[in-house]
Amino acid sequence: MADIGILRAAIAPVRRLWRRPTAVDVAPKAGDDQDARAHFRDGLAKRRGGNSAGALTAFERALALDSDFADAVMARAEILDGMGRSEEAHGEYERARRLWSEMPPGAADRRYIFRRQGYFAFEAESYDLVRTNVRSKILPQLAHGNACLARGRAAEALDSYERALKVNAKLPEVLALKGEALSALGRYQEAIEIFDGVLATHPKDGDTLNARGIARAALGRLAEANEDWRRQFDLLPQTSSAARACVAMRMANYSAAFNEFGLALAKEPGNPYWLLYRLTAARLAGAPAESVTLPADDHWPTLLLAFRTGQATEEALLNRANSPTRHAEARFQMGVLAVDGNPAAARRYWREVVDQGPPALIEFAAASNELARLGA
Amino acid sequence: MFSVILYGRNDSHGYNLHKRAAISFNALAEVMSDPDDEILFVDYNTPDDHPTFPEAIHDTLTDKAKQVMRVLRVRPDQHVRHRLKTHLVALEAQSRNVALRRSNPRNRWILYTNTDMLLVPRNEKESLSDILGAIPDGFYQVPRFEIPEMLWEAAFDRRDPVGNLAKLRDWSVRFHLNQVVHNYMPMKYDALGDFQAALRDDMFAIHGFDEDMILGWHCDSNLAARLALYRGRVDTLVDKLFGYHCDHTRVAAANNKGRATRMNDQDRFIWNVATPYVPGQAETWGWPDVEIEEIRLDRETPYQRYSAGLDKAIEPATMPFVETSLEWQLFDDLTYDLPHTLPFVCDQVVTFPRSTNLMLVATRPDFVSSFAKAWKGMGFTGALLIPQECEGLPPDLPGVERAPFAEQLASAELFIFEFGLATQTATEPVRAGRQMGPIDKKRLKVAERLFKRAAATEAETRPEGRRVPRRFIGVNVIYNKFWHTFTNYVGANINPFCSQVLAGLPREDESLKGKVLKFRGRHAL
Repeated sequence: MADIGILRAAIAPVRRLWRRPTAVDVAPKAGDDQDARAHFRDGLAKRRGGNSAGALTAFERALALDSDFADAVMARAEILDGMGRSEEAHGEYERARRLWSEMPPGAADRRYIFRRQGYFAFEAESYDLVRTNVRSKILPQLAHGNACLARGRAAEALDSYERALKVNAKLPEVLALKGEALSALGRYQEAIEIFDGVLATHPKDGDTLNARGIARAALGRLAEANEDWRRQFDLLPQTSSAARACVAMRMANYSAAFNEFGLALAKEPGNPYWLLYRLTAARLAGAPAESVTLPADDHWPTLLLAFRTGQATEEALLNRANSPTRHAEARFQMGVLAVDGNPAAARRYWREVVDQGPPALIEFAAASNELARLGA
Repeated sequence: MFSVILYGRNDSHGYNLHKRAAISFNALAEVMSDPDDEILFVDYNTPDDHPTFPEAIHDTLTDKAKQVMRVLRVRPDQHVRHRLKTHLVALEAQSRNVALRRSNPRNRWILYTNTDMLLVPRNEKESLSDILGAIPDGFYQVPRFEIPEMLWEAAFDRRDPVGNLAKLRDWSVRFHLNQVVHNYMPMKYDALGDFQAALRDDMFAIHGFDEDMILGWHCDSNLAARLALYRGRVDTLVDKLFGYHCDHTRVAAANNKGRATRMNDQDRFIWNVATPYVPGQAETWGWPDVEIEEIRLDRETPYQRYSAGLDKAIEPATMPFVETSLEWQLFDDLTYDLPHTLPFVCDQVVTFPRSTNLMLVATRPDFVSSFAKAWKGMGFTGALLIPQECEGLPPDLPGVERAPFAEQLASAELFIFEFGLATQTATEPVRAGRQMGPIDKKRLKVAERLFKRAAATEAETRPEGRRVPRRFIGVNVIYNKFWHTFTNYVGANINPFCSQVLAGLPREDESLKGKVLKFRGRHAL
């Protein structure tokens, strides 16, 4: 074990260079995602051209390929409404809103673009139109880039941010977003250099500290990452309990995470991730278990909670872990379950999280810190 | 559930503002059903001697509108630091932020709109509270539909919101009113500022409206740009409600000069916005450290305060009428009817902040004691400053502070100068040819000297931090020898003789005569 451990520790930084460099997890492509977007784009163009019937057909084609494509659901609803089919439209409006609201919100400690819920296909197309007509301005490029980045299209986002920077090369907000896009593309060192520049002039920029921490952690520079997160934590006001909780969880400061997630739950009692992380922090901090009532739904976070509380099996969990993010979240919880009785197994699970999971995940950082603590 | 935030002032913005606003306030209240719902109206920079706009139109508001409305009054002295930077007399960003800071923290939503909008739920059984209570977190807008001016002016009953909403449902179909005007993102629709629903938490997170926007226009687009970045999407509620605007272009509003209109820079505040936040105002937006008066229309109204004050000071009349005269031979007669005059004096002060310190220079002891009772009865907590130089006045009146005039001048925020006869009794006839006695002359001379000095040095003797001039109220200064004295120094309107009261701000007269007057006043010559 000792030899293997030394070897692993020696090659760990290099291994990360060989990792699949996904930092932003995207919904699994059904193979038709791009086609659905193409039909959606076609529908928007037809709608703008006054061809409501053609637009309706195009949106329906998009939905045939991806029935949960909320932007297309909403666009179809507006067309139906305008055609006088308002009864039919009503259900579609509600469905679109529900689909958007059911999308997992991002970690509360991250920059605003990662905390939003949506497909942002409408926004990407709309701002593409705007930037074609409102030239040499920052907002259309920025908003287009944000829409792309939020949906995992980091290369397009980077291009948009670079166009915004051509208008004003020194804007720290846009530079930071460029760094986020680079990080999402796995170009962590470049991202860090950008973040260094932003923080040199704006040392209290908590969002950029968080982002640099993620990039540093992705490169195995865990101590530096923790230092960034520690500074971010100190800068966050007491009222930002959710953000503070998420940062604490990354740093494996479970007692702080436990307390802050408690405060966050008081404000958002329906947030399943806050409950999950609070229970997880309690377990890892050695606090007594709380009894919980699970939400009555079959959403992914509820399954994680069920597993956390012993009400779901590993198999059931892994059967639904159909993305790198879900896989990492599942493996992390398996490690938490295993750590007391079988630290080696926990180590394996957490190694998987670090080797294959998106570095932006809270679980990635927490697993990294757990591995360091266990001496893996 | 939600706080509606509006702003305005007691002036004539656009055409028939009073009717439009009453229609709108009543209609907004009508679609509220949650006990925490509120209408926050920021009355911005109405002159101190005017009531706020909602107070001025209170009789055209429904009981429900009066119950849900909180009026936040921003005084001219609180606006004056912006006066040199803008041509506008009412600032949107500052107003909306003042309200946001003081909005009900139990409310999830903030709804920004304007004082001429009607919001019509498409499902008649749903209130706006129901609608906002059911939707997910987000940032929502609706398209604005215009109502031709003659429709709202000729056919709406401002006190019948239920009827007005029903009429709109009918007209929208008969007259094809519902036309959605799309716009580029992030605006999404034209005239977006007439319905922007944002989470209260989001508004606090992004530091409110950008208070650098002081030239008018595009505050709504800037908000949309920033919230669109923050939230990612600009969602619609067009399936839930329609928004109608009482069109008002017969007469251009003060901020509408057609192509010559000055406005906030669109590039800076829309197209080059790079962040949702305004960190430069993170601690100061909405003036958290400034005391903003709150006025309610359903309790402690100005009328209730006014009548409570007078009831403390005067008894009801026992005769059907009293008499006076302004025949020319009576010019030197300085008698006046105190119970008749006091209501007009109180009328001049009741709109001022309750904490106002008022300097009272008077000669009639009974005027001083009556006014002091009325002042306290009207709920004023500020001091009545009576200079020691004014002799023969009642001692130990509650709320009165006596000190040398020069020491009190810099504390006074409002002035009353009363020029009566110290020896007038309550029962003697008024304006019947009475002459001044030696005591009267002596007291009046003091009053006149103090008045001239106060008026001539007003700009230099203001309380610390005050930048707007102080108002002077003259009592018994119409059609007698003090008429010219008072109006030489104070720019007062022509008032009816029987009110006995003139009021205004110190005159700024750069002519030779003006300079001489000022010199003489300053040195009490």
